[in-house]
Amino acid sequence: MSTSSHFYEFARVAQELAETRRTTDKVRLCAAYLQTLTEDTDLDRAVGFLGEGAFSTTSGRRAAIGHRTIAVCAATFLEIDYELVFRPSRIATGSASETIEKLMENLDVARTKRRVDVRLSLNDVEQRFETLAALRKREDKEAFLMEVWRDLSPMEIKYFLRVLGGGSLRIGFETRSILNAIAEAFNCDAETIRYTHMITGSLGKTAVMARNRTLEKARFTLFQPIAFMLASPVESRATEDISAYIAEEKFDGMRCQLHVSHENVMLFSRDLNDISASFPEITEIYTGKNLPPTVLDGEICVFRENTIQSFQQLQKRMGVKKPSQKLLKQHPVIFVAFDVVYAEPQVASAEDNAGRIHGDGTLFEMPLGLRRQILEALCTQYQIPLVDQETIQSQEDIDRLFERALSHGNEGLILKHKDSPYEFGQRKKSWLKVKKPGGSLDTVILYATAGSGKRGGTYSDFTLGIRVSDDERYEQDFVPIGKAYGGYTDDELKKLNAAIKPLVRERFGPTLSIEPHIVVEIEFDEIQLNKRTKAGYTLRFPRFRAIRWDKSPRETDSLAEVERLFNEKADKKRIPQAAFSIP
Amino acid sequence: MIRIQKHGYGGILLPDFDVGLDIDQPDATHIFISHAHADHVPRNRRIPVFATPPTADLMKARGFSGKITLLPFHEPVVLNEKVTVTFYPAGHILGSAMTYLQTPEGNVLYTGDYRTPPSPCTEGFDCPTDVDYFITEATFSLPVYRWKSHDVLFNMIRTFAEDSRASGDVPIFLTYNLGKAQEVMMALEPTGIPVQIHGAGYPLCEIYTRYGMNLGNFSRYNRKTVAEGALITPLSTLDTSMVTSIRKKRIAYCSGWASLESRRSQIIVDKLIPLSDHIDFFELIDLCKKLNPKKVYITHTPNADVVIHYLQQAGLIAESLDIAGNDEA
Repeated sequence: MSTSSHFYEFARVAQELAETRRTTDKVRLCAAYLQTLTEDTDLDRAVGFLGEGAFSTTSGRRAAIGHRTIAVCAATFLEIDYELVFRPSRIATGSASETIEKLMENLDVARTKRRVDVRLSLNDVEQRFETLAALRKREDKEAFLMEVWRDLSPMEIKYFLRVLGGGSLRIGFETRSILNAIAEAFNCDAETIRYTHMITGSLGKTAVMARNRTLEKARFTLFQPIAFMLASPVESRATEDISAYIAEEKFDGMRCQLHVSHENVMLFSRDLNDISASFPEITEIYTGKNLPPTVLDGEICVFRENTIQSFQQLQKRMGVKKPSQKLLKQHPVIFVAFDVVYAEPQVASAEDNAGRIHGDGTLFEMPLGLRRQILEALCTQYQIPLVDQETIQSQEDIDRLFERALSHGNEGLILKHKDSPYEFGQRKKSWLKVKKPGGSLDTVILYATAGSGKRGGTYSDFTLGIRVSDDERYEQDFVPIGKAYGGYTDDELKKLNAAIKPLVRERFGPTLSIEPHIVVEIEFDEIQLNKRTKAGYTLRFPRFRAIRWDKSPRETDSLAEVERLFNEKADKKRIPQAAFSIP
Repeated sequence: MIRIQKHGYGGILLPDFDVGLDIDQPDATHIFISHAHADHVPRNRRIPVFATPPTADLMKARGFSGKITLLPFHEPVVLNEKVTVTFYPAGHILGSAMTYLQTPEGNVLYTGDYRTPPSPCTEGFDCPTDVDYFITEATFSLPVYRWKSHDVLFNMIRTFAEDSRASGDVPIFLTYNLGKAQEVMMALEPTGIPVQIHGAGYPLCEIYTRYGMNLGNFSRYNRKTVAEGALITPLSTLDTSMVTSIRKKRIAYCSGWASLESRRSQIIVDKLIPLSDHIDFFELIDLCKKLNPKKVYITHTPNADVVIHYLQQAGLIAESLDIAGNDEA
């Protein structure tokens, strides 16, 4: 009979990792732990719990239990008042899971409920995650969660909740370090481990293959998404050797990985979720094309009257799992390809003169120029919309193309290094985005919310108001227009926290209502129509540009200005079918 | 009904008896100072006050120049033939006192900052039992705060120092200069590791030893020899050359706030040691229940409502005096 390792041991190591400062020490510590996990299933689980959460990234599954449910459930379990005791404690620690750990530790009532003779294994914990995910009713989830808590120590509960949440364990040990620990534990080349992880998309599988010396079997699997290659913002355009790059226009759409093999088609979003059902017109078209096994990287855009439409229109399609005929007709979408990461081995190797591919059909290692040749051949043969590529020699070329992209209604440019491999899951200098901020507005702080994690205990999220004092439609002076979480320096945040103190009007849990006084110049990507808000508009990615201590709330921008900016952009003439072509 | 009022920045006034507790300005004839931390010593440095002898020495060493009437622990003084005032040891730092006022309107106990079980680096903790009005600080007034014993914490300090020395690193303790620094030194004393202390903390250590506290082998910070032992210095020096010039080091942050995980990313150090010189939530509630006063007044916390909630459950009446908390606790 095989025995699964204790979850307590996992939690203890996680805590020790959190308390260890140097990365090399952390890697050594984690490697030693991984070596103790003799069962492959345990190794798979433990590494997955460390880096991916309760369910593997590739499964696309998530724990269907909300933060508030967990917090309320904890208050019930601990027999304390949620509003009067749990909430202020959570605000002080900045973390619900840490609060629960400490209260479980400190309150006698939790100690009496604990079944001390029980020790759950990694396997037990995994089964409990499965059970929890399968429960539908909230009362059932709560009851089950409270049963699980009776079998765990406070520290285990903290990590149980963090693993369940699927986010970071907040121990300063992320994917890259986990991969290094796998390499160190099983004496493998770190680069090979990284590659295996990219191919398999699974930390657990990578660890098991590393131990069993089967890394060479790592295979890319069709219909299993891989992490997208990402672009970095251009910091200083002058420092790059521009002629080593090509330029493509950046569409105002959503990134998509298209997996196809004859009549089978799947679409994946940037967070690796299956979005095939949301865009049936794309899956239908590709079902009919009879493509050989292929993976394309591209962008989904609303395309009507031969023109790419704004992101606002695409938003109406995003997240809609079964779009109605009416919606499909109003906002039809297309997929524009810009890269190919997998092609049938014959197709791929036929084009490859450098002998750099693995012969398994993946094209990650191949330079962009060669991938583009394969992509062009595929797009021509199967009539796939393909982004235009422009050669560039100088800054003037970039400026000219950038202006052109804006006139097309596109967001800007992506510069891609001609020789770059497809670096999945990474944001490096091989792809650079040239973008213009959507605009800036002077707003006023209305609410401040205490952050969590790193920013626990300080007010770091700010709801910003736009002036409606001269607007007959409103009775108040300001209405919320967006929430900004960043763009300020640590010093500015400190000053802000001091400055809001005397301006507090009311407290709602972690949120303070603030006297409208502090003026903030914010920058944003876009203005979106949002009927559910008081203002009728929200800002996409608002962030601080400057705190205008010099300005008074009377000098801020009005809602009329927001409306003007929005209409200017929406009404902007878009040039039909620009920046891509159907060969 | 007795009148108990918040006064100025962090003080309390009993106007019926012309008494001020930790107040800033000469707005009462009799002003009692609980201990020598800056947020309790008058900002007006020239006003006449009462204090315990160690507190008086510490205040003078930190620049207070007003007239200080010495009032040792347990020695009552009678004001206007009406009010008897006695200092009781508060267990917070050397000289720290709770002020006990026996008045015709009832007995008032003002805790100042306090701790029970007391810090080993103090005169201990002793509390009068007949209290009608209990004015208590509540810096750590949430049930997420329950302190480990001094034995455990002192061991943590020693182990950290010894492990650091063994790996060739200089152990550095980031602590407040008055109170916590001396506590850490007392913890380190049995290890024999020589300790250097920040210049502003050094003269305070001499006062501690004069009052019989064994702080071991210590000297003022010296850049040339600091690598030979351990260093104790305030958090504010973390990014200064005093700390950065030490090549091989391991840094520990000692504070009640070190019990929070978020401090780990806010202050990048090797170890967080949750050593506090304030009473924790559970001791606070227990003490209130034991004293069973007519009314509890809560100060120095944004979370007075939590304490009030727990006290009400225990059948006690409580209210907040709305005095801001202390982040350096």
